[in-house]
Amino acid sequence: MPVVCIGLSYTNTPIEVRERVAFAPSTIGPATAELSSQSPVSEAVIVSTCNRMEVYAAGPSATATATAVDRWLRQRFQIPDSTPFFRHTDEEAARHLFAVVSGLDSMVLGETEIFGQVKDAYSTAHTAGSTGRLLNKLFQHSFRVGKMVRNTTDIQRGSTSVGSVAVELAEKIFGDLRGTQILLLGAGDMSRRVAQSLQSRGTSAIVVSNRSHERAAALASEMSGRAIPFDDWPAEVPSTDVIISSTSAPHAVIHHDQIASAMRRRRGRPLFLIDIAVPRDIEPSVNNIEGVYLYDIDALELIARETRSRREQEIARCREIIAAQVNGLPYFHSYGSRDSKPMEDPA
Amino acid sequence: MPPDKAALLAASGFFLAGSVHAVRSLSGRSRQGHGIGTALLAAGFLCQCLFLAWRGRELGRCPITTPFELLTFVSWAMVLLHFVTGTAYRLSLLGAFTAPLALVLQLTALLRYLPAYSSGRTRPGFWPEMHATLSLIAYGAFALACVAGVLFLIQDRLLKGHRNMNLVRHLPAIHHLSGAVHRLILTGTLILSTGIIAAYQMPSRPPAAKLAFVWGIWGIYTALLAYDRWRGMSARRSAWAAAVGFLFPVLSLWIVARR
Repeated sequence: MPVVCIGLSYTNTPIEVRERVAFAPSTIGPATAELSSQSPVSEAVIVSTCNRMEVYAAGPSATATATAVDRWLRQRFQIPDSTPFFRHTDEEAARHLFAVVSGLDSMVLGETEIFGQVKDAYSTAHTAGSTGRLLNKLFQHSFRVGKMVRNTTDIQRGSTSVGSVAVELAEKIFGDLRGTQILLLGAGDMSRRVAQSLQSRGTSAIVVSNRSHERAAALASEMSGRAIPFDDWPAEVPSTDVIISSTSAPHAVIHHDQIASAMRRRRGRPLFLIDIAVPRDIEPSVNNIEGVYLYDIDALELIARETRSRREQEIARCREIIAAQVNGLPYFHSYGSRDSKPMEDPA
Repeated sequence: MPPDKAALLAASGFFLAGSVHAVRSLSGRSRQGHGIGTALLAAGFLCQCLFLAWRGRELGRCPITTPFELLTFVSWAMVLLHFVTGTAYRLSLLGAFTAPLALVLQLTALLRYLPAYSSGRTRPGFWPEMHATLSLIAYGAFALACVAGVLFLIQDRLLKGHRNMNLVRHLPAIHHLSGAVHRLILTGTLILSTGIIAAYQMPSRPPAAKLAFVWGIWGIYTALLAYDRWRGMSARRSAWAAAVGFLFPVLSLWIVARR
């Protein structure tokens, strides 16, 4: 019995279309059950995330199954025929699923969230009684392949965004971020996002200081922190572990002498400074002080870029692993595929 | 080949394999976790235990008399302390750096191998044995503090220079490393203090020169702890002190071994 995969993703469809075909989490179970009851579809799994909507279905004929799924999707979401879905059959469908689960088809290459999302989708379909022997085997196999790819290559290693690089560095300085305090200088969006990344790892206190106290208070309120007048920030340094600076000042705001003086009162505890302002807020010579680690936006972005580049270099190895796994797939043929010719893509 | 020598050769083999594994892991060529490194270190440690048990039974005393035995005992104590402190403080990579130092100590010991029959069988008595054993365990703690200090200096340099993020990821957090350096120096100093007390219980006082050397080492590490306690020492200076300070116990061992 053939397997087909029909759908769309960020690679071939703009967000205006993707948001129309997104399934709300609570509707996926009933929708899967409804789809699998459409003749000739006998098994179905729907994967719906912000970047993709894909239907994996099995039926006695690849073309007939794909046509039924296509029609069902278009009717459900009122999608015109001019909007194409991609289609894969049997080994190609398996190859695509393995790549998706491994994070190779994700917007952020190698990201891990998709693995859980596909698992949830499969679990929902399984609970709804929409999966049979074929999709059960295919999806279980895909999870094994996903783990294999992630464990034997560097596809998910390292941080790919400025926020996650900041978190990774902070953890390499302090070990555990629980109990650490952040001082935000400036209330910009970028510094807020970096602070949120650190907060998600257990940072316990956030202090916000901005020339406009109203903005500082608003951001502090949003992040369950406290706002202080801009002139008072130097007094906070001895008890702060991470300073994120993003003011729009045309000159340095944090000077070598201020940090050197504060470090004498920290009894050897390190200090992590993140300067994401342009022009820079922190004098570069601050990095020469013992126990102080200064990273500006270029340094953070460079690390993120190197990680992305290393992940891209791993794609070929990942594809080899997937190809080897697809070549060994026994189940399509053991079910006596009656129609396993590749389908023509309507696009 | 005598069983004690075979056990130490096997231990050296495991430490060599642990060192190679560490280099491969740090260079990103091996994706196996710390489990393999820990297992190799544990296997080497087990061989050292077999050596101590066999040699102790043959001699009828603690095997810490000849240079060969002293170095083996320090290496054993260092690995033992690694398992006590390294795993407790989530410093699993400390093992990767412990293996090479254990290997160097072990190979140096093997170069001066003496069969059990040629070592003296006279039992020196409880207090001399206690003094020697505690002092060597303290030296093991200082050796491990040296390893943690070197790790700190590497990590500090990488983080300050914004380079080799791959290696940064493998190394422990510098805050944990500076804590480990401090704890290991404190542990070593406390054990050495007990060893010195044991020396004064001996029926015949050890030679003044040797005693002075032990007091000197104790003084260096105590001064370091006191300075840190009262004046506050930067983590980098503590790491340097731990790394360089281990030269004094090594020198002391060399002097003791020359007798």
